[in-house]
Amino acid sequence: MRLPGFALPAIALAVLLALGFSGVVHAHESQPGSLDIRQIAGDRYDVVWKAPIYYGRPHPARLELPASWQTVVEPTERTLPDSIVSRRVVAVGEKGVEGSIVSFPGLQGTITDVFVRLTRLDGTAMTAVVRPTSPNAVLRGERSWHTTAGEYIGLGFHHIMLGVDHLLFVLGLLLIVRGRMMLFKTVTSFTVAHSITLAIATLGYASAPLPPLNAAIALSILFLGPEIVRSWRGETSLTIRYPWIVAFLFGLLHGFGFASGLSTTGMPKAELPWALLFFNVGVELGQIGFVSLTLLLSRAFRVLAMRWPVWAERAPGYAVGVCGAYWTVQRTVMLFMSL
Amino acid sequence: MRTIDHRPLALAGGSFLAALCLAPEEAHAHLVQTGFGTFYDGVVHLFITPPDLLVAIGLGLLAGLCGAAASRGVAFALPAAWLAGELAGSIFPASFTLPWLTTVSFGAVGVLVAVNANLPRPLLVVLACGAGLFHGFVNGSTMVAAGTDRLGMIGASVSVFLVITLSSALVVSLRAHWAQIAVRVAGSWIAAIGLLMLGWLVRGQG
Amino acid sequence: MQERNGTKKIRRVPGRAAGTLFPAALALLLVPATVFAHQETGSITGIVSGLKHPVSGMDHILAMISVGLWGAQLGPPAVWVLPVAFPMVMAFGGMLGLMGISLPGIEIGIAVSAIVLGAMIVTESRPPLWIAATLVGFFAIFHGHAHGTELPAGSSGLLYSIGFVASTGTLHGVGIALGLVHAFRGGRLAVRAAGAVVSAAGVFFLARIFV
Repeated sequence: MRLPGFALPAIALAVLLALGFSGVVHAHESQPGSLDIRQIAGDRYDVVWKAPIYYGRPHPARLELPASWQTVVEPTERTLPDSIVSRRVVAVGEKGVEGSIVSFPGLQGTITDVFVRLTRLDGTAMTAVVRPTSPNAVLRGERSWHTTAGEYIGLGFHHIMLGVDHLLFVLGLLLIVRGRMMLFKTVTSFTVAHSITLAIATLGYASAPLPPLNAAIALSILFLGPEIVRSWRGETSLTIRYPWIVAFLFGLLHGFGFASGLSTTGMPKAELPWALLFFNVGVELGQIGFVSLTLLLSRAFRVLAMRWPVWAERAPGYAVGVCGAYWTVQRTVMLFMSL
Repeated sequence: MRTIDHRPLALAGGSFLAALCLAPEEAHAHLVQTGFGTFYDGVVHLFITPPDLLVAIGLGLLAGLCGAAASRGVAFALPAAWLAGELAGSIFPASFTLPWLTTVSFGAVGVLVAVNANLPRPLLVVLACGAGLFHGFVNGSTMVAAGTDRLGMIGASVSVFLVITLSSALVVSLRAHWAQIAVRVAGSWIAAIGLLMLGWLVRGQG
Repeated sequence: MQERNGTKKIRRVPGRAAGTLFPAALALLLVPATVFAHQETGSITGIVSGLKHPVSGMDHILAMISVGLWGAQLGPPAVWVLPVAFPMVMAFGGMLGLMGISLPGIEIGIAVSAIVLGAMIVTESRPPLWIAATLVGFFAIFHGHAHGTELPAGSSGLLYSIGFVASTGTLHGVGIALGLVHAFRGGRLAVRAAGAVVSAAGVFFLARIFV
């Protein structure tokens, strides 16, 4: 197979980037943490705090339980490949857990969300998502559905807006697509495809191990690079004629990626479909926002008749290819190191 | 079927993503925490700081009224000057926020829009540079006091670029006479807000 | 202006399409402002009270709508000179009030403004533009002085002003929109009748001050 002319400079640049900025461009794959508080008997609760490994180190956040809770069984700590799980049993006293506040000092400086779940013996449960902006949760009774909905929409929006890899893939598609109808078809098929795999993965029918998945997502971005160059040269290819097919196929991969941001750890089964729905709504809102802002800005550039030097016009296309190449190399290395 | 021109499209999405790619994941204390990192905090900062938002929209309207060439100049001059001002402010922070001057600056821009001042392009660019440096400087001073980093400042000037480009392109694209009048009415509103604000400052309730 | 004509050829976007898309864009831009505004304490109360204030007093509503109506009746250029000039002059009045410079007979001035503006609409008078603008501007000072200065405790003056100006401007828009019926056959009469109502209300306001 002939190596596209684009690939060489891209790979060279990727190596340079890897040497120079290895700390700057992070692949975005931070897992959420979870806190599971389960009533064992009376005022005794089993507390399991799972702190994800944060960029190769123990997570900077600590768990801080209310001062009135007495530790009955001292914490035990287990180190898993992707997290550190500590477990203890506490006596919460006569007042019960209602209204108690658990906090996570150190979470502020991170991008980690923590899912908190409280289950009582009578079967009632409460869940909350703790964000770095307000690193604490109030334990309380059942919540209204719209509070939950808002939380998961926010989570999905957050996930895509910080997920530069997903946005870069969408940008690559926008660069290839010609015509409004094709734009609509492509964006829709990407949406449908990632919704399918997001649902499959979240509901537990299938799962993709994270390291190869991340490498494959990176490869999907790299794949678009040569296609963009082809479209500049006026050449054609399957991707340029039917971008929606590519959007669909790679969309399936990206859906698994989105699923990694929606951990179902500690989530009541009944809440799962709703969490899935609203998380996806949040992701789509972010995606629509990015696509419409890009289109509006491009129209504004045209209205103002802005003229750009050639390198500036081509820079975004090369950025797609270079970042794709860099991430592919980086994540393939990570894949082999994890074996 | 209408075709989509790729070059502006590429630049539009690319400039946004480029800024995003440079984002380190560490977050600090912010003026406003969006929970999305300092870049987005900077983006949002413009929208919750009315004098800054009004001066950016006002300059966009003014540039649009002066034509596409003037808008092109302002669309780059304002964010660049804004960023320069922010950096200056973060290095030599001032302990005051100068509400008088920020109010006068957006109010004056409003008046210029209301009277449909057809300024020559160089003058407009100088005006944009002055406003950008000044508002950026105040931004930079307050941001550094709240612990926002350089990335937040880039975010703020990216959103200035978005506002000025979209608002001036909107005005340039308007053909109907009444629509251009509506632009001048908007300028008059901005000027009115500035005048009232001066009154509040005299009273000490800014 | 020359430049704008020059770029017309380069652009391939029809003005109409861009015209519909960009307002959406600006709305999009303003969404975060409202979403995140709650993070600033008291900001929502400031904007909301600013928005509500102009529509809470009948005298202010009637005067603002009649500015729009009269403008529509006079046609261009008055139809746009008045809404452009009014907010600024009104804000000037508000500024005087905030600086503590008192004006004599504010309440009387406001009542008289409704009477005079109503009378102008009823009689379809067409004074020269500068006289119309001065007349409206004169009343605008009173309105600004009386209404622009009632800030609820704990909210920001800037946000209150934004709400106040936006709300007042919207009332002008309503007046102009109502005045568009002027173009229809029966509409002319309807606009004049509305002027009569405003005048009558003005007389009532005046009477209320003295009785």
